[in-house]
Amino acid sequence: MASSICRLSSHLPLQLRLHVFRRGLTTTVRRNVASNLLMPALSPTMTEGTISRWELREGDTFSAGDVLLEIETDKAQMDVEALDNGILARIMVKAGNKAVQVGSRIAVLAEPGDDLANLEMPPENNDTGSRASTLAREEKKINENPKGNTRSPRGEDRPSVVESSDEGAPSTTGTSKAHTPSPSVAHLIREHKISEGDVSAIASTGPKGRLLKGDILAYLGRANKAYLKDLEGRIHKLEKLDLSNIKIAPPKKDVGESAKQVVEKGPVVSFGEVLKVQDKLQAVLGLHMPLSTFISKATTRANHSLPPMSSASDILDELLNLPSTTSSRPAKFQPKITASPPPPPYSPARGADILDMLTGAAPATTPAVKRTLGIVATGPNVISLTVKGVEEEERGKLFLEKVKGFLEIDPGKLVL
Amino acid sequence: MLKPFILRHSSRSLLRPLSAKAGGYAPSTFLLVQRRGLASEAEEHDVVVIGGGPGGYVAAIKAAQEGLKTACVEKRGSLGGTCLNVGCIPSKSLLNNSHIYHQILHDVKNLGDVKLNLTQMMNAKEQSVSGLTKGIEYLFKKNGVDYVKGTGTITSEHEIKVGPLDGGGPQTLRAKNIIIATGSEATPFPGLEIDEKRIVTSTGAIALTQVPEKMVVIGGGIIGLEMGSVWSRLGSDVTVVEYLGAIGGPGMDAEMAKTMQRILQKQGMKFKLNTKVMGGDVGSDNIKINVESAKGGKSESIDADVVLVAIGRRPYTTGLGLENVGIEVDERGRIVIDQEYRTKIPHIRVIGDVTFGAMLAHKAEEEGIAAVEYIKKGYGHVNYRAIPSVMYTHPEAAWVGQTEQEVKATGEAYNIGSFPFSANSRAKTNLDTEGMVKFITDKETDRILGIHIIGPNAGEMIAEGVLAMEYGASSEDIGRTSHAHPTLSEAFKEAAMAAFSKPIHA
Repeated sequence: MASSICRLSSHLPLQLRLHVFRRGLTTTVRRNVASNLLMPALSPTMTEGTISRWELREGDTFSAGDVLLEIETDKAQMDVEALDNGILARIMVKAGNKAVQVGSRIAVLAEPGDDLANLEMPPENNDTGSRASTLAREEKKINENPKGNTRSPRGEDRPSVVESSDEGAPSTTGTSKAHTPSPSVAHLIREHKISEGDVSAIASTGPKGRLLKGDILAYLGRANKAYLKDLEGRIHKLEKLDLSNIKIAPPKKDVGESAKQVVEKGPVVSFGEVLKVQDKLQAVLGLHMPLSTFISKATTRANHSLPPMSSASDILDELLNLPSTTSSRPAKFQPKITASPPPPPYSPARGADILDMLTGAAPATTPAVKRTLGIVATGPNVISLTVKGVEEEERGKLFLEKVKGFLEIDPGKLVL
Repeated sequence: MLKPFILRHSSRSLLRPLSAKAGGYAPSTFLLVQRRGLASEAEEHDVVVIGGGPGGYVAAIKAAQEGLKTACVEKRGSLGGTCLNVGCIPSKSLLNNSHIYHQILHDVKNLGDVKLNLTQMMNAKEQSVSGLTKGIEYLFKKNGVDYVKGTGTITSEHEIKVGPLDGGGPQTLRAKNIIIATGSEATPFPGLEIDEKRIVTSTGAIALTQVPEKMVVIGGGIIGLEMGSVWSRLGSDVTVVEYLGAIGGPGMDAEMAKTMQRILQKQGMKFKLNTKVMGGDVGSDNIKINVESAKGGKSESIDADVVLVAIGRRPYTTGLGLENVGIEVDERGRIVIDQEYRTKIPHIRVIGDVTFGAMLAHKAEEEGIAAVEYIKKGYGHVNYRAIPSVMYTHPEAAWVGQTEQEVKATGEAYNIGSFPFSANSRAKTNLDTEGMVKFITDKETDRILGIHIIGPNAGEMIAEGVLAMEYGASSEDIGRTSHAHPTLSEAFKEAAMAAFSKPIHA
């Protein structure tokens, strides 16, 4: 057996070619209507070709091995043979046609004995996607039959059709077996003379439906089917990133002074004006200005408009001509906007007292809501502010008042 | 082609998280940065990758190849991350050269003199590294990835502020998707201050200017053993102190760990297992490392000129600004994600060392590609069962899948098939016969559960095992596959045969 596998690989190009032909002439589903013969790809890179000659006329019957037509590409000229018996019901693309796309319908084939007069013609079913899907199927079919002999993997009594009209329908049992059997699987199949039909009925537990040695052993009664399922479950679990039992880190605690968190009811900020301006901008300039931009600009202005803070140490620094220490100089305020009550405060490593000021809910309905940050319309909005030390509380309040002012009164100024 | 782009337009994607968690999802937090002094906003990128290591740069190139407008932010000043700059690559240069030196030293012992030129050896290392980092820059150019040098901080769900490396103002990048790939850093040892000269991490251990007479390695994992063996080969007296009862870290098969330890001991390395490091006294010309038996009792102190701290690595998120958007980390600092690498903000994904899973460059690469594919195609593939581990000592150790102790713990019956390199013709002719290949298979189905190799080129050989496992192979599948003669890989085949039947040559 091993030797036949080896032989296969060394003859691969030939096998590929044979399969291209066969692919053209087998179908996955037995059907009682005629089927389309699609332009076959004679090589993996072939995208189009010329039909140089039809060997048969419409209505002619053919048997396996008969040459149906001759196709010419820029590289070669080749005969397309039938592998099964049938009738050439209708030629759709006449001889001499050039640049026939691979996967396009070139003829309709019927089964032997079909009454051509009453034959149900399959739809063309040749949209742009069909070429790709045909190619994909091609690969699948090539894989399907590693032996590369003339026997169809699905039995011989298949109609000699090429593409059934329901091309796109997934074949339910077929997919899982569309793999080259692994050496051990092939060996067991031959050793125990399991028929191809039986093989295709064996449930597979391998990756992407691949038939494994264990599956054949289970079929032969040498492995427990329930156990196989267990094993597959265990393996499947290992294939995934283990994200179980994640313990979220507790939010970092304040490392600075353990001052209490002051939560105050702040001024209610209405974003109504901002949203109007936003709409106007969108309508007039076609420009979407995110809400965050408004808030950011308002923050900057508010920061600028705050009176300079002169603490005792500042004055001393100035007198002594010392570089001022960061702790005495007020940092620019950077409020956080959140959609619901603030998460446990994260304090950047420097550590700080937290003063949270809450603002109430913003107007609930504005036409612009859908295009803005979701925070506007949903629940209470929070503007939280990190300040250093209790003495900054007053400045913080003033700052928030200013932000509110800038946002409510003519916010257009902020961005224009 | 255009459709997915339109769908991801900012205004709509901002809405998506909202609608997805109508019932009390954690807040979207916006930290409003001071715009003052910021450069004007650049054109929006489809993907901004933060971190240019093996996960990040691969993700960036893949994204660009997929037609996405991509930027990669890196603060190191050169691409390739820890792996390329101060990790895998430079250490492999040293491992290779120190191995050659060691071999010549011992082979020609009676023929003549061999002298070590450490400076030259370090130069060779630097040349390899700089060649490769420049190679990535070239690949960025070739694929159209914008390379942004600086520290990336996420300031809002779609914005990354990049603090520039040298001069200039900060830059703000807007991104439809963000991939965090900031990697990891060496975990420091409490009480021992890293100076990268005498108390070193792997970074300092690849850049020592002279061969230390005595070296103590804290941690007997892969990094510790690789770096330990470099300096051991160059002449250091190396002692490895490991808290656990085995070397190689918890992922290594116990039998293999024992074999490896025996081999390394034969090469001159010393091991103190089940030993706790209590602290160290750093004197002006000597360091004393105080250790104690982990099972209580006996304490002693070991002298060292250089101490390598290799107790593990931890996720690196400093300055990343996770708090600005409310992204969570777990207790060990790993960024919390789902199976598609998404944080709670779906368009921010995380790959590599900074999140869950093994801290391996190739794992990060796989995830980088998968993350991009999730963005572009909605499906990506990483099989965590089939990610190999390699230790580049000599001989190398490599493994994939489960260890014997893990399989044993499941309680299911299993088979072992092993084959020693001493019975392999090529190993014999190479005079390099240490080690073996070991298969662990499910007894009932013969499916391969794990493969463990110690031997010359084990790291290359494991690739076959990984592929086999990716396809759900049984040991018989490998045993029935032709392997060229005479090669080391025949040992691989014979071990597989030993698992389901009998080997021919043993």
